[in-house]
Amino acid sequence: MDTQYNATLETLERLRAESISAGGEEKKNDQHRKGKLTARERLDLLLDDGTFEEFDVLKVGRGGSLGEEKSYLGDGVITGHGSIDGREVFVFSQDFTILGGSLGEAHAQKICKVMDLAVKVGAPIIGLNDSGGARIQEGMDALAAYGEIFHRNVRASGVVPQISCIMGPCAGGAVYSPSITDFVFMVEDSSYMFVTGPSVVKTVTHQDITSEDLGGARVHAQKSGVAHFTVQNDVLALREVRRLISYLPSNNRLKSPILNLSDAPDRTDPALDYLIPGNSNQTYDMNVLILSILDGAEFMEVHAGFARNIICGFGRLGGQTVGLVANQPAVLAGVLDNDASFKAGRFVRFCDSFNIPLITLVDVPGFMPGPDQEHGGIIRHGAKLLYAFTEATVPRISVIIRKAYGGAYLVMNSKHIHCDVNYAWPTAEIAVMGPKGAAEVIHRKEIYSAEDPEAVLAEKMEEYRRTFANPFIAAQRGYIDDVIFPRDTRSHLIRTLQMLDSKRTKGPDRKHGNIPL
Amino acid sequence: MFDKILIANRGEIAIRIIRTCNRLGISTVAVYSEADSRSLHRQLADESVYIGESQSQKSYLDINKIIAAAKATGAQAVHPGYGFLSEKADFAKAVEAAGLVFIGPPVEAVDLMGDKITSKELAKNAGVPVIPGHIEAVRDEAEALAAAKSVGYPILLKPAAGGGGKGMRIVRKAEDMKEALAASRKETQKAFNDTRVFVERYIEQPRHIEIQILADSHGNVVHLGERECSIQRRYQKVIEESPSPAVSAELRQRMGQAACDLAQTANYVNAGTVEFVLDAHQNFYFLEMNTRLQVEHPVTEMVTGLDLVEWQLRIASGEPLPFDQKGVRFNGWAIEARICAEDPSRGFIPSTGMITRYAAPRGAGIRVDSGVNIGGKVDVYYDSMLAKLICHGKTREDARRALIEALNGYHIEGVSTNIDFVTSVLCLPEFAEGNLHTGFIDQHFEGGKSKRSPAIQYLRLAALVAGLIYHTRTVAVRESMRHMVSDIGGKREMGRTPRYMVRCEDEHFEVTLEAAPISGETCTIRVDGNMYQVEIPVFEFFRRRLKLIINGQAYRFRIQFEESFMFVSFNGLSRLFEVYTPKEWAMMQYMPEKADAALNNILVCPMPGLVVDVLAQKGERVFRGQNLVILESMKMESGVASPVDGVIADVLVHKGQAVEADQTLIKFEVV
Repeated sequence: MDTQYNATLETLERLRAESISAGGEEKKNDQHRKGKLTARERLDLLLDDGTFEEFDVLKVGRGGSLGEEKSYLGDGVITGHGSIDGREVFVFSQDFTILGGSLGEAHAQKICKVMDLAVKVGAPIIGLNDSGGARIQEGMDALAAYGEIFHRNVRASGVVPQISCIMGPCAGGAVYSPSITDFVFMVEDSSYMFVTGPSVVKTVTHQDITSEDLGGARVHAQKSGVAHFTVQNDVLALREVRRLISYLPSNNRLKSPILNLSDAPDRTDPALDYLIPGNSNQTYDMNVLILSILDGAEFMEVHAGFARNIICGFGRLGGQTVGLVANQPAVLAGVLDNDASFKAGRFVRFCDSFNIPLITLVDVPGFMPGPDQEHGGIIRHGAKLLYAFTEATVPRISVIIRKAYGGAYLVMNSKHIHCDVNYAWPTAEIAVMGPKGAAEVIHRKEIYSAEDPEAVLAEKMEEYRRTFANPFIAAQRGYIDDVIFPRDTRSHLIRTLQMLDSKRTKGPDRKHGNIPL
Repeated sequence: MFDKILIANRGEIAIRIIRTCNRLGISTVAVYSEADSRSLHRQLADESVYIGESQSQKSYLDINKIIAAAKATGAQAVHPGYGFLSEKADFAKAVEAAGLVFIGPPVEAVDLMGDKITSKELAKNAGVPVIPGHIEAVRDEAEALAAAKSVGYPILLKPAAGGGGKGMRIVRKAEDMKEALAASRKETQKAFNDTRVFVERYIEQPRHIEIQILADSHGNVVHLGERECSIQRRYQKVIEESPSPAVSAELRQRMGQAACDLAQTANYVNAGTVEFVLDAHQNFYFLEMNTRLQVEHPVTEMVTGLDLVEWQLRIASGEPLPFDQKGVRFNGWAIEARICAEDPSRGFIPSTGMITRYAAPRGAGIRVDSGVNIGGKVDVYYDSMLAKLICHGKTREDARRALIEALNGYHIEGVSTNIDFVTSVLCLPEFAEGNLHTGFIDQHFEGGKSKRSPAIQYLRLAALVAGLIYHTRTVAVRESMRHMVSDIGGKREMGRTPRYMVRCEDEHFEVTLEAAPISGETCTIRVDGNMYQVEIPVFEFFRRRLKLIINGQAYRFRIQFEESFMFVSFNGLSRLFEVYTPKEWAMMQYMPEKADAALNNILVCPMPGLVVDVLAQKGERVFRGQNLVILESMKMESGVASPVDGVIADVLVHKGQAVEADQTLIKFEVV
């Protein structure tokens, strides 16, 4: 009996060693030569020391439906759970050294197992993607396997935070899983995502294009908006994932962690009183305001390179995570356009899913005009953002900094779509339209029948500006709750968050609304 | 004494003058331009008058507007400060013609000393040594060569008009004369529209020593000691001190006497400064006389205990000096650093923007004369000097150390400043030894950086700070997670001695904390094996300044997080410190070197709009971040900044042109 037992132990050791050695030394060195880490090294950096519990070390595939000879222990992915800064997370890390990290049935089942557990216990799911795509040799089984993962991505969406870190190729059907997850990180120069690769593109459309130019990190961060974050290398990518997670609760039943940075809640900033230039046509940098009010001047910007006319990101106020949405007047005058509406809309819905209060800083002159935008569906996109804010039941606070014109003002978390508390700076200009447009409409007859239309227009614009380019009419109606001094913005926000902390609202009883997508 | 005066200046000096007026109970009237409508000097004055658009010509240099403002407010006298109209005889004349008192010397003295030729003549007549030079301007190469021969090489070609070093050329031998003369002429024509050039002996490794004098209207003249202003960059003073390490009591007496003699010969009244050049053999030569208060006057004030602005006012109102030369006392040493809004790493180009954070050092022996405060706007229209920081000590070394400490604790954000550059000058052993001369900065610096690397002890301390803050934050984050961690099995602790690898450019350090740092207690921290006892404060993560007691001594650091890493500024070094855990560090070896950003040889239009202004031209050297084009888009004006350091090859757009997004605006020369 002893020999039986010892033999079993020996087998166990041998199999474990084989699984851990993965694709072998040579393939591991290949990863390193490409400036990438191995799947196991990445998990080692991501998780706290000694906390990783691995599942399915010995799991293998059933063999390809198209006759694959060898099966690999672990089937090309490492899964399990561990802790990040003490808190439990579930992880999967695809192993490029085994069959190019391709996804087969067993591989997908491993991932599905940890996703199921994560939802049960309410812990975040972090996926480190480094895969050539579906394992062709497994045929339909591979495709079916992907489907199971997508199904779970959707079931988990809004239940636990899901983060994808693309650290190598991610092509074909594989891209849908990360796109459903809440946040996508991409590593510069070594990762790419696309539905159809360069070789097929060449065959079909005769276009020559590299993987980097087709779907590299920069492309997705700046053009398509698929990537929320880009990072310089693997080590920093994992560090940034840890940093993002530190803002989030583990699941949708909890509130975010409270991080004490010893930053006084009543800290005032006199610089803010000087931020807005005297001339309404001059810009300023909204980031100055954002960094001034947030705890520790720490801000983790999401989608930094995309739709730069709006700023979205996480910060803390009084220790609690808040989701910040702010127009950026320094880019395109801060107008709302298709990309900005999409960017902010998705961010708002994430925050609403996970009990993160929303703070908006408003300086928006309107929607971007032009056939490009109209034909591109600015109507739909604007409606999308409007819907997202309106539907959100987390505490919603709005601060009107300067321009707040027309429909764009309504969309940006206004009182009229039931934000909880709405402040305005003395520089706020809340109006149905900008002075030029309004003057032209209201006084049209007088302007065009005058001897000097330009002069009359200028005079009427000045009159309109004097009457409406201030927060007082809105204040008179109670459309804003108070006009505050800029330097006190932070302390007002924190006081309001304290008050709203116990806010409980529920939406109407329905399966789900029909957000214009 | 006056009841009300008008200050025909702005910024730091206007505030300085207001301060003394407040003390003496004199009402102040400030003048301000469009750009200065929210400025600090306007806020601090009792009254203020708008005098025109931002450009100096339309405001601070407009004599009529200033006189009108004085008359309208009932000011009795005008203080011109320094720069602007302070040395313009026209202005002094206009002030007096308007029945107001000009707080400065008589018009004749301003006139006399304003011209290099007449002032030199006067000096000679007063028996003051002058630099050997040819009296007349040279008209051609032949004259230049002849003059140079009689004066003796090496010679300096010096333009008659203007200063600031423009048009000056050193010629060491006759063969170089032709080229140098042509270059000098070209530059002075462009700058001053005056090609008169003089030939003068060039003093090697000269020291710039100036004597402060005070003269009343009753014939009394005293000198208040010397100031050494040899630390200059492109002829602009950066660091000044009083007294000078090169001047003995005997030399001081001789130079002081010469300065007083000159003042008396010129019938000088009020404050003035006689500038000399000191050679390596204790010979001094007259350079010029400045008929106004100098920027660096605070060092004299801290050493003599006198308020020079007060004496200017008293003298201008007719009071006699109540003390003679023997009554002037000198106490200790003072050193001043000029804080300017410029970027040393980019050729010292002026930096503009809004000051988002401002924290000046305070304490005994520390004086800050600032023109700005938090929220202040720094524009292109005026001088880039923001403030002056002056420290006083019993000895030169005391003053030097105090100034370094104070600079370490001076934080300005929103514009780039030369604070770290100035600190690195003060930290050089050569500065501590007092081996100064006007070529000091050129000798020890290149590209705005010291040729010598920062001392390893400084780097270690900065690495310690980076590691400690990183660790503290990590612990805080863990704390914030506690409510989400199961209680089963007890809360997991970090369970390891905190050890980090801190990388900074080519260096890296191992930082180990021997115990968990607790606020209020001392923690032992090792950096590469060197032990430091650190008293742990409460970390306020919003703050950019940190004071740490390390091994019983207080050190001040300026820090700023940049995503996962942090900038630490200390003793002149200002670098990015990357903190890694040991396992991250082990993996970093596989990470590729950061690829240089793709060489952008074009400036691309970021959004559709209209070109309002083009700020650069073909052939001009520009720096990354410098605005090249002003665009109007969506009814807003914004600047389009250069993506690279480079030379402009082609400007493809012009003012008034409509442009599209992604359109090429400017092409750079391919390097």
